Amino acid sequence: MAPKKKKELDQDERFQAIVLTDSFFSRFMPLTAVTPRCLLPLANVPLIEYTLEFLAKAGVNEVYVMCSSHADQIQKYIDSSKWTHSSSPFTITTVMSLEARSVGDTMRDLDNRGLITGDFLLVSGDTVTNIDFSAAMAFHRRKKQHDKEHILTMILTPASPYHRTRSQIDSAAFVLDRNTDRCIYYHSVPPPNLPQTSVGLDPDLLEDVDELILRNDLIDCHIDICTPLVPQIFQDNFDYQLLRSDFVKGVLTSDLVKKTVYAYLTNGEEYAARVTSFLTYDAVAQDVISRWCYPVVPEVNLMPSHSYSYQFNHIYKEDKVILAQSCKIGNCTAIGNGTEILDGSSVSRSTIGRNCKIGKNVSITDSYIWDGVEIADNCVIHKSILAYNVTVHSDAEIVGSVVGHHVTVGRGRRLAVNSRLVETPIERESAGLDSFSDDERDQEVSPSVAVVVNDIDVVGVDGVGHLYVSEFEENDSEDSDSEFENTGSTDKMGTKMYQSFKLLNISDDSIASVSNKKRRRKTRRFSSNSVMSTDFERGELSEEEEDFAKEAVDTVTRSIENNHDLDTALLELNTLRMSMNVSYHEVRAATVEALTRRIGHFISTGTLGSKEATVKVFKSWGPLFNRQLFEPKDQVDLLMLLQSTCASGGYGGGFDGQVVLFWAIRTLYDDDIVEEDRILQWWNSEESAASADIRGATVRFIEWLQEAEEESD
Amino acid sequence: MVDNKQLKPEITALLNPVVDQLTRHQITGDKTIALEISHLLMRVISATRWSNPYDLVNTIRQVGVVLQAALPREFICGNIVRRVLSIIRVEIEENLELDPNSESNTMMSSIFSLLSTNNNTVKQESLIQSKKQSSDLRSIIIQGIRDLIDEIINVNEGLENMSADLIHDNEILLTPTPNSSTVLQFLIKARSKRKFTVLVTENYPNEIEQTHKFIKKLADNKIETILIPDTTTFAMMSRVGKVIVGSNTVFANGGCMSNSGVSNVVECAREHKTPVFAVAGLYKLSPLYPFNRNDLIKVGNSGKVLNYSDYELLENVDIITNPLNDYIPPENIDIYITNIGGFAPSFIYRIVLDNYKPEDNNLE
Repeated sequence: MAPKKKKELDQDERFQAIVLTDSFFSRFMPLTAVTPRCLLPLANVPLIEYTLEFLAKAGVNEVYVMCSSHADQIQKYIDSSKWTHSSSPFTITTVMSLEARSVGDTMRDLDNRGLITGDFLLVSGDTVTNIDFSAAMAFHRRKKQHDKEHILTMILTPASPYHRTRSQIDSAAFVLDRNTDRCIYYHSVPPPNLPQTSVGLDPDLLEDVDELILRNDLIDCHIDICTPLVPQIFQDNFDYQLLRSDFVKGVLTSDLVKKTVYAYLTNGEEYAARVTSFLTYDAVAQDVISRWCYPVVPEVNLMPSHSYSYQFNHIYKEDKVILAQSCKIGNCTAIGNGTEILDGSSVSRSTIGRNCKIGKNVSITDSYIWDGVEIADNCVIHKSILAYNVTVHSDAEIVGSVVGHHVTVGRGRRLAVNSRLVETPIERESAGLDSFSDDERDQEVSPSVAVVVNDIDVVGVDGVGHLYVSEFEENDSEDSDSEFENTGSTDKMGTKMYQSFKLLNISDDSIASVSNKKRRRKTRRFSSNSVMSTDFERGELSEEEEDFAKEAVDTVTRSIENNHDLDTALLELNTLRMSMNVSYHEVRAATVEALTRRIGHFISTGTLGSKEATVKVFKSWGPLFNRQLFEPKDQVDLLMLLQSTCASGGYGGGFDGQVVLFWAIRTLYDDDIVEEDRILQWWNSEESAASADIRGATVRFIEWLQEAEEESD
Repeated sequence: MVDNKQLKPEITALLNPVVDQLTRHQITGDKTIALEISHLLMRVISATRWSNPYDLVNTIRQVGVVLQAALPREFICGNIVRRVLSIIRVEIEENLELDPNSESNTMMSSIFSLLSTNNNTVKQESLIQSKKQSSDLRSIIIQGIRDLIDEIINVNEGLENMSADLIHDNEILLTPTPNSSTVLQFLIKARSKRKFTVLVTENYPNEIEQTHKFIKKLADNKIETILIPDTTTFAMMSRVGKVIVGSNTVFANGGCMSNSGVSNVVECAREHKTPVFAVAGLYKLSPLYPFNRNDLIKVGNSGKVLNYSDYELLENVDIITNPLNDYIPPENIDIYITNIGGFAPSFIYRIVLDNYKPEDNNLE
């Protein structure tokens, strides 16, 4: 290609796509504890392949894959994939956005990095589609010509309200202008088991709309054509977390932004879906296998090493599949290389990965069996997912369950419907991102994992595995069962998602963080109307940090005095942090300072003793730290801050730094906000030992911790 | 995407973009695919270096394997690759004849060569050529491929010439393959000398749009055209004088692949003793035999058969299949009209032998 021509291409025709690999939800737990969602195999192909295939077909030139959780795995996968070859239709770059806690954060990070040059395609890494993108792009261009304020085209697929592929969790109703397809209003629809609400429309929105149409039958798979303004709006509105219910709704209802959003509806033959939950995983896998997404079908072999070929009744087999003569392979089945199925077994509406061993008289229906699974004789597997290298001993029955990697289910076990098994108990989320970086930190408010170690009861004497229970499930498992019955759905896999939904509505207030490198410095300063003086003596604070310290301490103090709820306090802190552009260290410092003052206040007024005051304050306000601690070293930092604050004194008469420190740590430990390893790490650090006298009361506690640890060893 | 270790990187670099386009269905239509493959092979031959011409043959065979894997149920790639292989082999054999040392077996009559296949490949594997010879061979082969491309582009000309002889005045024709440009050109050419009526089946669900375009074009050429639903074929057949069928692939046994629904139409024609003409360019002839019919049929988008939004039906249907083509057995076709003349289905094997070398029937 002539150099000149290439240059033109760079400037004019370069079309970029952003792939969001992280959904920031934990609906695929426990599977996503080990594998990121976009690498989960769907019909034995990692999900992201479907998305990249779509981008290749859409004529994209540059792809940026935004990674946050399991970023290393995703990067490794992309680097070794066919898309990095010279013949790849686009250049692919993985962007590490490790601190992102929501889609909004990712968008802000994107804006900071300045990658976007023109209109771009925004998709999530779990999209499966065969839509004709050129038609959507033409629609976008046409609308942009007519409407200067047009910033976003959403690609939506008509379906029906209770369509299996339509996610019941984040389904939404769209109010559209019938003539122009302009989106007037976006309304999230609660899942079928929750009370339904009405759509309230502001009359102002209906100016110059002749005819409107309200649609609750659209599959929204988050394929958007965005203008460069979109990341900027996220930047300006730093409380936007979600693409739809925050951003789209915000833009549509805002008096200030005055931008328009259009909806492109695909024609009935085109397919688009997102894998957002176990329910949609099942539906989309079935759709791919029964060729709704043609030409994206298994025999296209998206993975270069695959060798699927098609047989009638939607049966796909790789080259080396060993089937006993008397086994029955039913409709809609895909079987991978090296898999062996013995006499009398039957498989239908299922996918089986590579190198699986299926024994005699096994029945597998509506299930997804990943690579390396061994199933012994006479087992029944129905509506379940068996992850990599699961072993099932003979006569077991697994119905409607998710069995995590490397779990062994013992002989003759019958798993309860809806159980989810993991090999090793999953650590608490705040335990650090290294061992377990989760699909979602959005739910940190509700510590989502509690592990019940009743090994043998669940998987049997010869089994390996633990029951995975997230906390909210425990609370409302009973009523969810009955609700589930009411929905009339037959798919047990779907029940989990209804439960997880309830937790989601409190999830949009996590303190978001943005990579500081290229962050635009906000010049806006808060006019400080604070009258309290701070006695922070933490070296040389910049003016901005000082401002922040004052403001933040005030914020927390105010929240405590007025008895606000935690979320409000967090939101305020977040806002402050974003506007002042400071790190979490300062946020923690300010929170510690405020809490300590509160304790000091109780003690000096004689209301409570040192111990009671500390326990009371940290019990109710300690959870603030949940959203301020992300890595193990953050916990150590917090403990250090506590120590120095308690040592500094000046909180009124009767304030006993030693006692306060001890009870503060004890309370944080009891509430699982800090872990014993971190406490010990802090205790042994030089910095902490430097002012040892304040630690007097804590010695016993540390000894106890150490003993407990030795015992458990 | 190709992961073939045996092919050299410069060849895979040429091959990969084409394979990707094929698997993504970005190149469609028999003729377009045929031309694209021919051009690809020309590039591959220019890029390959060889001292033994059989190395070139092996490279092209491997390319053929990769291309067939890209579109497992499309025979056109294999046909073109085999045609080119045949061009190469003919050249090599001619060189050998010039070489006095080699024994010539061209004296054998065709009936003997049928019985004695494959014995000349093995003994000549160790043929070494000089640089001069190989560059001569290269230019001859590339010229051969150019001729092949010309043949593919001009395939309709040879066909059209026969149209006036086959169609009578005031005859009623039926065509169930409105997506075939060959059929379209055939009818338009015939119109210049004859006046006739054409019935066109609707071909729901896969070809409806193309059917409408086809009808428009026929009408624009002042041909009286009637669109009929697929279901009425049998009822209309008694009035039809000839059925004209376009084909995707013609097998060596005289059977062919055509659009889905055509099998039904030709069965009706057989019932009414209506003659069936199949039109096919020479490049659609395949040296393969249709052993397992289920493995021949492409299956397309289920969404064309049942609307995806029809949730309740979707949930209760066990399986939805949308076959894209049909196999038509040789006994249901009366004559093949190709650009080199008309032939009975039973004679196709002979034309296949003229254009392909039996050694290359299996590329792997």
